[in-house]
Parts: sequence; C-alpha cells; structure tokens
Amino acid sequence: MSNQDNDPLSQMLASLPKDVQPERDLWQGIQAEIGKTPVVTDTAPVVHFSSTRWFQIAAGVLLVLATSFTTFVITRNSVEKDAAVQIARAQQQAPVPTATAPLNAMPASFGTEALGADYLKARSELDQRFAERMKTLPPSTRAKLERNLADLRHAANEISATLAENPSDPLLQDLLMSTYQRELQLLADVSEMPASHPVRTDL
Amino acid sequence: MQYGAGANDSVPVADPLLSDVSLVTAARGGDMRAFERLYRTHSGKVMGLCLRMTRRRDVAEDCVQQTFIRAWRSLQAFEGRSAFGTWLHRIAVNEVLSHGRNHGTRSESNEDAIEDAIASPGDSDKEHDAGEVMDLERALRTLPEGARHVVVLQAVYGYSHEECADMLGIAVGTCKAQLHRGRKLLRERMGLAAEADDE
Repeated sequence: MSNQDNDPLSQMLASLPKDVQPERDLWQGIQAEIGKTPVVTDTAPVVHFSSTRWFQIAAGVLLVLATSFTTFVITRNSVEKDAAVQIARAQQQAPVPTATAPLNAMPASFGTEALGADYLKARSELDQRFAERMKTLPPSTRAKLERNLADLRHAANEISATLAENPSDPLLQDLLMSTYQRELQLLADVSEMPASHPVRTDL
Repeated sequence: MQYGAGANDSVPVADPLLSDVSLVTAARGGDMRAFERLYRTHSGKVMGLCLRMTRRRDVAEDCVQQTFIRAWRSLQAFEGRSAFGTWLHRIAVNEVLSHGRNHGTRSESNEDAIEDAIASPGDSDKEHDAGEVMDLERALRTLPEGARHVVVLQAVYGYSHEECADMLGIAVGTCKAQLHRGRKLLRERMGLAAEADDE
C-alpha cells in the first residue's frame, strides 16, 4: 500500500463519480453512423462451400438447431405460463401449497444437450473434420481460429444459460441462434478449406 | 455485470445479464443490438472520462459518440487482452487528444457541466459530502491540461503510470511528474496540507 492510498486527496479523487450520463441520446447518432459501416472483417476471402458436403452437413445441423430451438422456446414459455396459472389458482383457492408444473423437467439451458442425437452426431462430424484440417494450418492461423471458436462457444454457453432464465427474451433468442450459426459456419469453412486456401477467421 | 443501467435507456432496466465478452462476440458478428447493450453499459464512464478531460459537455459528447463509432469499426481488432471498458477508454482518450489537436485545447470550460453531472446520484463515496466533491471537481478543472489528464486517468479512473503514459503517448516519467504537479496544485487550491509525496 502506498502513502497515497491513505491520503485524503487520493481517496477523494478515487471516490468521485465515474459515470456521467450524456444529456442527449448519443445512441441515435452512433446507430446512424455504424449502420452505414459494415463490420470490418479480415481480408481473407470466404471459402465458398455452398455446394459441398460440409455445407450440407452444416445446413442440416442448422435446421435441427432452429427446429429444436423453436420447440424449446415455445415449450418453455408454455410450461412457465402453466406454472404461473397453477400458482395463481393455488393461491386463490387453498392455503396448502400444490405441486406446479415441473419447470426443472425442461433443460436448464438451451445447450447441446437440448438438441438431440441428430444434431450431436452431425456436429461431431464437423468437429472432427475441423480438428483434422486445423492440424495442417500454420500456427498463427490456427491460434486465431481456435480463439474465435472459443469466443463463440463461450458466448453460446453464456447466452444459453441466460436464456434459460429469460426464455421469452427475443434478443437472447436471436443472439443464441446467430452464435450457433456462426460457430457452424466457422467449422464448415475450415473443414472445406483447400490446403493452400486462406480462410476467414473473423466469423 | 448488469447492463441497461445507463442514461437514455430505451433498453429495459431489468435486462438479463450477459458479460461484455459475449456481447462483443455477438457485436463482432454484426449484431447492433448487442453493441447497443455495450453502449448502455459503458457510455456513462466514457462520458465521465471525456468530460473531465475536455471540460466541455458538447465536446465530451462528440468524443463519446466518436469513441463508439470507432470501436464498432475496430471490433475485430479487440483481442480481449484488456477489459472491453479499458479498450474503450483508450479510444476515448485518443478522441479527446485528437479533438484537442484539431480544434485547439484552449476552449472555455463548460462550468456547469461537471457540477450538474455530479449533482445527480452517482457512485461517489458517501464519506465525502457534495460540497467537497464539488470543490474538488472545480479544482480539477483549473489544472493545466497535461496534469489534469494524468490526474483524471490515474487518480480518478485508477489507471497505472504505464497505462496512463501509453494512453496519452507520453513517457512514464512525464506521467509521474504531471501527477505530482497536479496533486500539488490540487492541494494548494483546496487548502489541504501538503503530503510528504508532494514535497
């Protein structure tokens, strides 16, 4: 601890309010400006894999993902609604607590466990191919791809867990779908990449 | 981290929790709503920093706006080595310095700006009363620019000498000297007894 830590001036300076809110809504101007600017990505070309086997696998996985996700959201909302109705009824009619619809019967989050065997099989195939292809890439490319994949998976896990607590949040729903989608696209891109072809690492 | 707690909230206050890391990942994919959440979370602190460095609310607001526009354009360059907030502050300091270079730095202080801001509830330590805080803000505003920038970054926002020097593009030694000078002037202007460190 330095002398300044105990100094009243230092303490006063450190305790000044850090947050000062802008008087006008700056977001409108920011939004207008960044709307004109697409997200800047790496210059490496995207691998066009739309007619390939790996794309077909990725597309199949996405379809399963979208279907399972929709089912998850609808079921979860309906279970929560039923539970709320039962609780309200129980509170009105009898003082004795009654069993409500088991929320815990639903998956705790919309993670891979909620997606079923088909999804897991297809994704595992993509994963395997991705891992094989990664071995042939230069270390710097590999490190970047691994980091991006780890970021996407971390985000997917966190969004999924948050979504389980807020199943009707439309932003979380969209974010989760797009994150899974980007993860699959990254896996498929790398899997399909020719040996000498650069790959997008920014997905 | 709770987000959605900033000013201009069009986002509900009771938004669910998501870390900056996840929001940055989503924003990198082009999701503007995720970026808006980041803006709501961080704009207050960026504004506080810019306002104290520029002393003018209108200039500070321009700098905040430019900071977030630049951050969006550079999201791919953010590697997560520092916290997202720290990365934003670096951009903000650049914006302030660049504004100073382009428009001159002798602009009049917007006297009410900081005081108005402080009058609203903030995260100020309750040990110090509003009068003391106001006096300190006033004294801070009167510091020469170099010393003020260093005092704001180090003593208010808690950056190290090295971080501060890096942000301002000055030597660590200069940074230490400016901090020393700034603290000495603050003591004089607030009528506080000199500390051994300031002598």
